[in-house]
Amino acid sequence: MAEQKQDVLQVRNLKAYYQMAYFGVEREVRAVDDITMSIHENEVYGIAGESSSGKTSFIKVLAAAIRPPLRVVDGEVEFNFGGQKIDPNKASKEEVDAIRWSKLSYIMQGSMSVLNPVRKIGRSFEDFAFKPMGLPRAEFNSRVAAHLERLKLSPNVLNAYPHELSGGMRQRVTIALATVCQPQFIIADEPTTALDVVVQKDVLSMIRTVQQEMRASVIFVTHDMSVHANITDRVGIIYAGRLVEEGPTRQLFAQPKHPYTAHLVASLPRIGDTRERPALEGRPPNLSDPPKGCRFHPRCPLATDRCKQENPPLVDMGEGHRVACFHTDKVKPLIELGQPKVTRMAEGAPA
Amino acid sequence: MQDYLFFALKRLVQLAAVVFAGVSAAFVVAHYSPISPVETIIGRVAGQSTFSPTAIESLRQTLNELFGLNAPLHEQFINFWVRFLQGDLGPSLIAFPTPAMTLVMLALPWTVGLLTVQIIVAWLIGNILGGLAGYYQNNRFLKAFGVMAIGIQPIPYYIVAFLMVIIFGFLWPVLPISGGFAMNVRPSFTPEFILSVLRHAILPITSLILVGIGTWFLGMRALVSNIVTEDYVTYAELAGVDRDKIVYSYVMRNAMVPQLTALAMALGGIFSGTIITEQVFSYPGLGTLLIRAVNGGDSTLVLAVSSVAVIAVASAIFIIDLIHPLLDPRVKVG
Repeated sequence: MAEQKQDVLQVRNLKAYYQMAYFGVEREVRAVDDITMSIHENEVYGIAGESSSGKTSFIKVLAAAIRPPLRVVDGEVEFNFGGQKIDPNKASKEEVDAIRWSKLSYIMQGSMSVLNPVRKIGRSFEDFAFKPMGLPRAEFNSRVAAHLERLKLSPNVLNAYPHELSGGMRQRVTIALATVCQPQFIIADEPTTALDVVVQKDVLSMIRTVQQEMRASVIFVTHDMSVHANITDRVGIIYAGRLVEEGPTRQLFAQPKHPYTAHLVASLPRIGDTRERPALEGRPPNLSDPPKGCRFHPRCPLATDRCKQENPPLVDMGEGHRVACFHTDKVKPLIELGQPKVTRMAEGAPA
Repeated sequence: MQDYLFFALKRLVQLAAVVFAGVSAAFVVAHYSPISPVETIIGRVAGQSTFSPTAIESLRQTLNELFGLNAPLHEQFINFWVRFLQGDLGPSLIAFPTPAMTLVMLALPWTVGLLTVQIIVAWLIGNILGGLAGYYQNNRFLKAFGVMAIGIQPIPYYIVAFLMVIIFGFLWPVLPISGGFAMNVRPSFTPEFILSVLRHAILPITSLILVGIGTWFLGMRALVSNIVTEDYVTYAELAGVDRDKIVYSYVMRNAMVPQLTALAMALGGIFSGTIITEQVFSYPGLGTLLIRAVNGGDSTLVLAVSSVAVIAVASAIFIIDLIHPLLDPRVKVG
């Protein structure tokens, strides 16, 4: 199980806020508030949460891609690349650039616009991967071609401009681009959100294949719970800038311990099931003025006075299942998941 | 490649149509101008001595015939095009009988020189500095340059030209303020002549560049500050691509495309600016010639200057059009 595996990433008490001052009025948006977690080697860790819950801010901090007004206020991020430890937000730009793409790579949201529209894809591969790979040109070219072939892409795409490819092709090219250097850690930010389900399935299995071949760790962000069910080993649920629940994917889907997770899981549609889904009242809190105590209490059906005053700590319930709720014993799955319904791509039939 | 040739051919036909329309418009304007070349000459001749009215009348008829003004307008128009295609526009009237084309060809190199240097220097430097200013938004020098550009850019060409004349001609008289070269040098390929030409070109060119550079600088800065927020730039930064490569190949390169289109659109305006600036500095180019022709009622010469100007500007835009698909692969050719 996960315990013996080495941690590739450790996040300790990370706080990152958007700090703004307009016309003398200071505003602070606590997008990432006290998150502690770790990611093992060779696993896909999913991050779920609704829009503006702080998922993207969180991974931007991990990738050291933050710009003011977003600042790391407290805590640390530590990557461990085979003994080489680095906090990308504290290390110098040269040190961070040295690990970028060779060890830490990124698949970005919106594949439509991540490639330079007036540059051939082959040139982008050169720009991104030539230096990190540090190979002579001929060997580099054959390595890129081999990698494309492994991902079932024709090497001809190297001579194409991005606008000449379809959306699905383009997303697969960006995945090829992000993985060509065999990085140990891949951050994937909503890589399938803009794609239709058929292409989505294709792209997901591609990410899974590459990840398993390279034994890389992937942090996979999406608000789509069905994608999490398909691809991740573990899932962390973020609500209003806080990690509220974390656990092995199957366990978290079958037995959610946090009322928010229970509702998320219950919202999954299933063929043949015509029952009405239980919906949550209200909307996510304003992060510049979050509610006191547990941030979920205004919408929580189980909330008590204690929830309004105290912030529940993240408690380990065993087997790596951690929950931040005072009433875990009262949380029942709102919908029973048939076990065979959650087939995993890695174990199931080849996609 | 075949697509591209077809595209070039299509643009060439467009160029011919533009030239035809522009020159024809110039012909009509010159023809209906209230200043008649015949009457101007008669006035000049008759003012100096006394002639009998019959002599004046026969002179008028001779001149009308000489200039081909007796024929109906459409015949004149066709005759004009036949001669135009042979490069002959008839004699100039203020410098009779020198062909108008000869005068234009004498003036053309001066204007082309001014324009070329202005466009290359102002466009290139303005874009490079503007691009850097958009990317390195905290650089002090570039910030100061931006403030200066905002201040100078809205001033019209001729005001800047007059300021230059006042500053460098009178307050601190270090540079010649009129003419294309010094009176006492003969036009020839001697270092003395070339030096004189260069010295005389400094002020007109500087005043043209001062105004032009600000426009390009501000335009490019605005474009680049948008492009740096594009996903592909962020992504390249996340990938640790070299900073220089990002600035030139990802940011500036992409901003160049709209700036090239802007250049094509601005060419006509730059040309008018040159005409006015030449007038201020009595520079022996097309602008000065044009204004002399207008004042002298020399319709042939006016027509010759405008035709050449139309052809020059249209051809420059044609060339830019041909470059455009090479810079931006998304432009559909064919």
